[in-house]
Amino acid sequence: MSEPIPAAPVVVLLHALGLSSRSWDGVVDALGDPFDCVAIDLPGYGDAAGSDRLTVEQSALVVAERLRALQPDRWLIAGHSMGGKVAAVVTAWAEAGEQGLIAPDGLVLVDASPPSPEPMSEQRRAGMEDWAEDGPVSPAQAERFVDQNAPHALPALRETAVADVQRAAPTAWLQWLERGSLEDWTDAVGVLRTPAVIVASDPGGDLGPAAQRRLTLPHVPGATVQEVDGAGHFVVLEQPQAVADAIAGLWQRVSGPRALPAAFARLIASDRVSAKTRAVMLARLDGPGDAPRALDDAQRDLLTALLARIIPQRGTDLDLAGRIDSQLAAGNDDGWRFGDLPPDVQAWRAGLDTVAAVAPGLADLPAEEQDAWITRFSDGEAGSDEPGLLDGRRMGLWFEDVRGEGVRVWLSHPAAQAWIRYDGFADGGDGERKQGYLRTRAGEREPWQRDWRTGAAR
Amino acid sequence: MDLTRMRRWAEHEEVDAVVIGTGAGGAPILARLAAAGRSVVALEAGPNWDPADHTPDEIQANELYWTGERLSGGGTPEAFGGNNSGTGVGGSTLHWGAFCPRPRADDFKTASTEGVGADWPLTLDELLPYLLEVEDFIGVSGPADYPWEPGRSYAMPPVARNAPADFMAAGCEALGIRATDGPAAMLSRDRQQPHWGLRPAANNSGSIHQGERTGAKATMDTTYLPFAVGHGAEIRAEAMVHGLERDSTGRITAVVYRQHGVDHRQRTKAVFLCGGGVESPRLLLNLDLANSSDQVGRNYLAHPAAQVWGRFDEPTMMWRGYPSSLITEDFWRSSDDSYASGYLIQSLGVMPVTLATSMARGGMWGERLMDRLEHYDHFAGIGINGECLPSDQNRLTLSDEVDEVGLRRARIDFTFGENEEKITDHGVDVMRRIWEAAGAKDVFVLPRNAHTEGTLRMGDDAGENVVDRDCRSFDVPNLWVCDNSVFPTSMIANPATTIMALALRTADVFLGRPLPA
Repeated sequence: MSEPIPAAPVVVLLHALGLSSRSWDGVVDALGDPFDCVAIDLPGYGDAAGSDRLTVEQSALVVAERLRALQPDRWLIAGHSMGGKVAAVVTAWAEAGEQGLIAPDGLVLVDASPPSPEPMSEQRRAGMEDWAEDGPVSPAQAERFVDQNAPHALPALRETAVADVQRAAPTAWLQWLERGSLEDWTDAVGVLRTPAVIVASDPGGDLGPAAQRRLTLPHVPGATVQEVDGAGHFVVLEQPQAVADAIAGLWQRVSGPRALPAAFARLIASDRVSAKTRAVMLARLDGPGDAPRALDDAQRDLLTALLARIIPQRGTDLDLAGRIDSQLAAGNDDGWRFGDLPPDVQAWRAGLDTVAAVAPGLADLPAEEQDAWITRFSDGEAGSDEPGLLDGRRMGLWFEDVRGEGVRVWLSHPAAQAWIRYDGFADGGDGERKQGYLRTRAGEREPWQRDWRTGAAR
Repeated sequence: MDLTRMRRWAEHEEVDAVVIGTGAGGAPILARLAAAGRSVVALEAGPNWDPADHTPDEIQANELYWTGERLSGGGTPEAFGGNNSGTGVGGSTLHWGAFCPRPRADDFKTASTEGVGADWPLTLDELLPYLLEVEDFIGVSGPADYPWEPGRSYAMPPVARNAPADFMAAGCEALGIRATDGPAAMLSRDRQQPHWGLRPAANNSGSIHQGERTGAKATMDTTYLPFAVGHGAEIRAEAMVHGLERDSTGRITAVVYRQHGVDHRQRTKAVFLCGGGVESPRLLLNLDLANSSDQVGRNYLAHPAAQVWGRFDEPTMMWRGYPSSLITEDFWRSSDDSYASGYLIQSLGVMPVTLATSMARGGMWGERLMDRLEHYDHFAGIGINGECLPSDQNRLTLSDEVDEVGLRRARIDFTFGENEEKITDHGVDVMRRIWEAAGAKDVFVLPRNAHTEGTLRMGDDAGENVVDRDCRSFDVPNLWVCDNSVFPTSMIANPATTIMALALRTADVFLGRPLPA
């Protein structure tokens, strides 16, 4: 039994410069019931116009606070223009389990201001700064601003947008133009692993399709870029259905089981876990990718087949062979080896070549016959005296290494640890006193301990 | 540990002593000599840590283990690395289990009392004052009444029992076996440690083998080493010794080590080699030193350490609590001569990757392995630590492969002898019965051995031993060896506090102080 998949993910929506949570009203309506939409007024805008937490970082912290209060098990985040930069920062924190957040299921960037300094002509920037130099943006300038960015805005959305621009705090307006939009967050955001969609209005403006591919896509390399034809920069006011479709489409793609059960991910993100422990655990969510390899394709395929029988994973579907291969290539050493085996890389190549020579076509045999071969090899009863191969005795030793490495790599993955309901890594964070455990006896549990496989109470 | 304000010596200054290794052997010597005003420099191959840097993550914790490759052979080849070998300022005490049973008088003379093994040149009476000093200094908690020794009492109460301890207590009671809280270098009360500061009471984290992050567990870098630095000792981390220079009379004049890729040469009047049962003999064999007896590397010892596991109805979550919180010494000697010397039994909580790896290496795989791991949170274990007697067939030699500093790698061949097999069989049978009495289901056995000892044996006869009763080389007058490599027999008790006691005694000999009778 695994974690139930909730029908309604939380969708956090972050607006553009001058606008407010209300700019998403059309998108929220279009998304409809299956989504639990939470549109947030960023500090300085909408109902939060009085806030003085105006930097990009503080805005992201405000979003993080809201998320901590909501504790969504499944969630998406969408950011429009200025809100896109904030959304990328929040996603980076959440992927790292920082700020008590668990990774979102998806990220939607709508004409987003990129993590890098935003491309904007100095003339335009100076002009916009002038609007707020002496107080709130005037009604006329607000209308001009909205109409330039959304010439085809739906009437009701245009009206609220014009009102929102006027009530935006001038300090927030200036903060973004002079500081926030120019801050370089590229290193802090890095390459995100969260599935993402980039929505780009076409022709758009400075943040249109070309800029998105150049500045945003490197941070979400797997993202699809969806261009919205005939739309202005404030696409959420003009074609909310297109933006909603992008969000719903992404959810459709990612709504299967999460890499980690939400409660378990939340535990990793909690202050019971040290920053170092959190970082090493979450780094293991990444597979071997195109890391250097020590085995050739045939050897790797054969190892995959053997490990499917030796370590039949439960609760995970990891590329164990690929992970072991990349470790071999990296020369990771556990401090010893059987003295009768050659050094590790040689031993693994020779062992796999011996299986291929002695039991050709093993991967295609029925499971019982594969298991019979594994038993013979493990017992030292099958091997080869050919040069470069391992005799039966050495095959017995090498198969011990295969079993040991296989289970070690599997169980070091956080999802496998959740599956065995383990929480020993949560024995204390980075405080002066580490929390540890108060209860140690059989049947006793701490109030926070769960059945991490399902998230249910123990 | 904080090394920023320590005293430093120049390489060309001749110091009174260089100590190689900062574990259970090196650290107390460093402390004793520094406190006596001697100029001492310790060279540690591994890095310097702050306890808060450790992580319960079992894979990342590899950074605490000696991962220079060792070749393991023989009939019962030993796993090294995480099993038994540390690196870093503090040595193997960074990851030790902190289990502190005391040796008994008979353990020092298995040859003369039972006709097997070898006698130590020392007696318990000569070491006991040092053992008590060590226990007091590092802080050992335990029961107020120790069933196997009238009058023995631990001032600091034991740490909390975990689920395996409770099940072991129940099983032992049902069978009429005495059991009690194990003596452990784990604090059950907050304590001020001289030159270190506050060491808090244990927080019941079970991941102490991955490095204990609070200071509740005694390690050398929270006890003897800060004391040593506070008294003027210098510790150089990431300094791998690979040479010893000597004059025409054979005395060592300098220690050569590589640090960050550069060779250094520290002049010294004496050397204490404290690298442990593998690295100490490996260095001497590589340098062809102190081996006129041809005993260097011989009589390698490893404790029989079989484990019995079972599944219980209630969740045990054995990652909580001090891992080995119960002990019985009822089998320290056989009641019917079914084995010589004997063994102790301790309750076991073991972290998941470590246990699963042992299970898989022990022969489990496929659905059977996964069926068992599915119930990991209902597991509890018990294990023995048994006597290992010296044998000609168990030996550390050099392979033809060389490491990063040009030293040939060690190959260790180890095969249980008849008595280790008898102890294992007897222990497994007793533990199975305890576990069945405690209500365990699906009981299984993991054969194991543990610790690295022997190889530089101490004794009175220069022809058959490497060092004398004071841990001084018979061949090189200013070379001392003090770690578990000098053990003539493994003894039943876990070795760390005995090593520390030997270290203090060796330092007193070096300082010319009167010794306890």
